[in-house]
Amino acid sequence: MRAAGQISATLAPRKRIGAASFRRLIVRKGLPYALIAPALLVIAGVLGWPLVMLVSFSLQHYGLRQLFQHQGTFIGLQNYATILSDPQFGYTLRTTIVFTLVNVALSMFLATLIALLMERVSRFVRVLIGAGLVFVWATPVIPAINLWQWMFDYEFGVINWLLTRIGAGNYIHHNWFENPLQGFTVITVIVVWGAIPFLAIALNAALTQVPKDLVEAAEIDGAKPWQVFANVTVPVLRPTLLVLLSLSTIWDFGVFNQVWVLLNQRPSKDYFVMSVFSFQESFRVSQYGLGSAVAVVMIAILVLATFLYVRQTVRAVNEAG
Amino acid sequence: MNPRKLLQTAIGVVVTLLVAACGSTSTAQNPADQTGTLTVWLMNGSAPQSVVDGVNTDFKAKYPNVTVNVQIQQWSDVTTKLDTALTGSSAPDVMELGNTLVAKYAANGLLDDITSQKGSFENSGTWLQSLTDSCTYQSKLYCVPYYAGSRAIIYRKDMFDAAGVTGPTSMDELLSAGQKLMGKYGSNPNFSALYFPGKYWYAAAPFVWDFGGDIATQSGGKWTGAINSSQSQQGLTELKTIVSQLSRADKTGDELKQDQAFAQGHIAMIIANGWEVGVITDPKSGDPTLASKLGAFPIPSHVAGQTAPVFLGGSDLAVASKSGHQDLAREWIKLLGGTKFQSQMVTVGGVIPNTTSLVSLSSGLPAIFAAAAKTSRFTPNSPNWANVESANVLQDMLVAIFTGKSDIPTATSAASDKITQILNASS
Repeated sequence: MRAAGQISATLAPRKRIGAASFRRLIVRKGLPYALIAPALLVIAGVLGWPLVMLVSFSLQHYGLRQLFQHQGTFIGLQNYATILSDPQFGYTLRTTIVFTLVNVALSMFLATLIALLMERVSRFVRVLIGAGLVFVWATPVIPAINLWQWMFDYEFGVINWLLTRIGAGNYIHHNWFENPLQGFTVITVIVVWGAIPFLAIALNAALTQVPKDLVEAAEIDGAKPWQVFANVTVPVLRPTLLVLLSLSTIWDFGVFNQVWVLLNQRPSKDYFVMSVFSFQESFRVSQYGLGSAVAVVMIAILVLATFLYVRQTVRAVNEAG
Repeated sequence: MNPRKLLQTAIGVVVTLLVAACGSTSTAQNPADQTGTLTVWLMNGSAPQSVVDGVNTDFKAKYPNVTVNVQIQQWSDVTTKLDTALTGSSAPDVMELGNTLVAKYAANGLLDDITSQKGSFENSGTWLQSLTDSCTYQSKLYCVPYYAGSRAIIYRKDMFDAAGVTGPTSMDELLSAGQKLMGKYGSNPNFSALYFPGKYWYAAAPFVWDFGGDIATQSGGKWTGAINSSQSQQGLTELKTIVSQLSRADKTGDELKQDQAFAQGHIAMIIANGWEVGVITDPKSGDPTLASKLGAFPIPSHVAGQTAPVFLGGSDLAVASKSGHQDLAREWIKLLGGTKFQSQMVTVGGVIPNTTSLVSLSSGLPAIFAAAAKTSRFTPNSPNWANVESANVLQDMLVAIFTGKSDIPTATSAASDKITQILNASS
């Protein structure tokens, strides 16, 4: 609210003062905009233009012939009507939302546990955990998925062999992807595995900001470890947690590689998440207009979800400041 | 320098530049002066490296200053790559297209019309009819037949001998032979008498066709899905029995790994293309010691003594309409599609050549595959067929049937509706 106060304070005297100071006001108020203009232009060019194109494609009939001629036919909102009436879209949307919720919750929970653990272990073990996390983070995503794919392979996979060996049941020729629930469990393992390093390292860094004397004071006052965590640690971590939460949501909502590569680029309809659905419509069936419409819906949902987070973050920062 | 001399010099320079500029694009000039890079897209597993090298050597001898860049593409994502490359600014000059994909690209104007040059290609009078048909869209020729392939059953002679079975001559015999093999080797949990991955649509099609079923039928310009007809369902029922009793392959998997799996030695039969023998016995990816143990027979019909119709697969060679080197592209295709290298495709590559005049060169196992192609069928010849393939309609249907997720009537009628919808969509 401070910013709004400033604006009304500068606007109020404007009517009373002369043209010279009015010009000065424009220079003073215009300068910040002039300074951020180059950055804004780059952002508009790199992020804004593709978005505009995406929305424009979503309003056209755009197949292979149109792609070749660089000229689509405007059909208004018909693409949106088509996807919204497609039962596959409803299934895909529900799957994606549940998948995102589970993955965000799991990766945030495990990352917090690891970050807390790293604080308490010896320096040597901390370096060891940190190195492990960085290795996972540094593995390029496609080779990583291929490794997981081999481990869960139907015929030659080490997971089936291991589970059978340790007596967990007969897993010889167990197909992890026949039942979508099991398949999505495998995908969740891979996504969470890949997400933890960044989250844990960021949270571990944020934990160093928790004032030691506050923790000590709380402990002296008889607070139990859980109470210290809930009432001292979490409030300090809150801005970081909110940022990581919104980033995780964006990443997990848009998961593509893990599904696409794991299922040999031919996922069955059970495994369609939003991004795969959009890709399939665009690049497999050459209906670029429909694919764009799916992508636009996806962005709209994400904007809505992250808006709530961002508002929370701004509030939290304001309260803290 | 006086003004007139200056003018003369200037004109001289301009004329020289113009001549040079025209020279680089002129087709009538000496081949040795042609420059540029010719980009060729071939599919993984189509031509043996020695054949590609031979074509490039001969091409280089005629056009020493042209660089040929041969890039190998994968079947699994080639349509996506072709869509983006052909509509963008960096289209390949020559590309190998699966025969079911040509109609899509020809209909959308992405391929160069070569009708008027047909006569300049060697053997164009004796090209395989079905490949020529796949290259023809609205009576214009858009590509040159490259090679054909058909599927038959590759089997282990040693396992057949040990189990006391001989080459089956009917589907019932195939099943009973498989049951004997399962009895002999089935205690090994990795053993399959007939290894059949769930998404292997091109191996399932013969069963549908053999009982008189079809994928889709056309009348009055409109397509109707026929995979749910009672004949089609009969074929799929027979196949489901065979797969559930004889195969321990992944019911949701595809056929890309079947040769490597076969080379591991736990499989008695696979339904495969002729060239897959080479993959199985490859020293790097397979097992060369299997070479003497392999035999082949056509997929038997449910009518004893006959063989089931098979899908005639194959590839064509096309020139992109956006290519800047269409004349060079055609020259390169003339080599690979001509007698010299087609003969090598038969003897080294084990495929069916693009002309009937060379089919007799086949011997040994490839001859059995060539014979199986005599009763062959093709997928619906529609520009939208590629979308049926890309949308995995038939693959998903098979997976649903084999895993028991849906019964055959439900799965086939859902697939049939989808096929009708896709084939009749306006492009």
